[in-house]
Amino acid sequence: MAKQSSLIFISGGVRSGKSRFAERLAASIANQTAGNLHYIAAGQSSDPEMERRIVRHQKDRSKSGLNWKTWEQPRGLKRLSSVFTSNDVVLLDCLTTLLNNEFFSSEDLWKESFFQEQIMCSIIEGVEQIAKSCRALIIVSNEVLNERIGNNELVFIYGRMLGRLHQHIVTSAKEAYLVEAGIPVRMKGVDGHEGSHDSRNGIGCWEKPDSDSDLQGFCQ
Amino acid sequence: MHFITGGAFNGKSKWVKEHYRLNAAPHLWLSAYHGHSIPENTENWLDFVVLEGIEKWVQEWSGQLAIHEVREKWRMLLRSWTQWERAENRELILIGSDLSKGIVPMLAEERKWRDVTGWVYQDIAEMAEKVDIIWYGISQKIK
Repeated sequence: MAKQSSLIFISGGVRSGKSRFAERLAASIANQTAGNLHYIAAGQSSDPEMERRIVRHQKDRSKSGLNWKTWEQPRGLKRLSSVFTSNDVVLLDCLTTLLNNEFFSSEDLWKESFFQEQIMCSIIEGVEQIAKSCRALIIVSNEVLNERIGNNELVFIYGRMLGRLHQHIVTSAKEAYLVEAGIPVRMKGVDGHEGSHDSRNGIGCWEKPDSDSDLQGFCQ
Repeated sequence: MHFITGGAFNGKSKWVKEHYRLNAAPHLWLSAYHGHSIPENTENWLDFVVLEGIEKWVQEWSGQLAIHEVREKWRMLLRSWTQWERAENRELILIGSDLSKGIVPMLAEERKWRDVTGWVYQDIAEMAEKVDIIWYGISQKIK
């Protein structure tokens, strides 16, 4: 029997409550399966503001009374592909930070298409391998593509990579949510977990795409 | 008329190709991203036409004309396209990226472009029979 995708995608604007929702969702799944909670932290404390943000998120997680195991992984997601077991619930927060770190990992390489492809593939493969190994992989990301992209090459390339990553992940995800003002709107997936919050009434969002392409295929 | 919008790089064009199965169907695809100019007439159009990159065409006019002029010109185009679409089996698809949810741009010309794009989208959505928002490949029908 083919294992159902364990991937859940959550996105939203700044301060939309996406992390909080992701953590609650993770806890609720872990609760059902008696699995362990893992947190992949992509943020690096490069300045005091980031440091404060990281501390705030850490406090939130420890206040929750749940036992999160934290993995600091600012880059090289694939390195975590063999550390989880089948009951584990893994939360990656957030994809934009991970992409930033990879993108700027070497001075000027971001302009090169081979480097862009390499980053995309390594993230996609990392996501795929982790998703396969655990009970649920929840990925948190940001809504940043609803404004003019402009003529800045760096912003254009970054935006295109992030958009393509999101498309790939949503395609292969079992569930996808857009969080607005603390309210998660389910964009994909059927009634699933207890504790998920489908606030949507009447709008039919999810239409199955014609092709059943998944993450595979991109990196071949 | 079917209007497709949503953020940049969200898979709008891909969705249109898959939804209308354009791989196997004759169609005319004009894209601002590929240097096509705004089609000011419907000569030589096939029965199925896709116009992609509305925001880019709006930007072009926004740089040259006053806001009300840009909007009026677009309304005239939309009327002529609606007219064209009245003949049987014709369908027009418009694809435009959403520019409306960022911080107010520093430059006046960018503010103007963003504003007028929003208004043109309202005009398009009003005239269109169908409107979909695409979010990373997932469609949300709003009209």
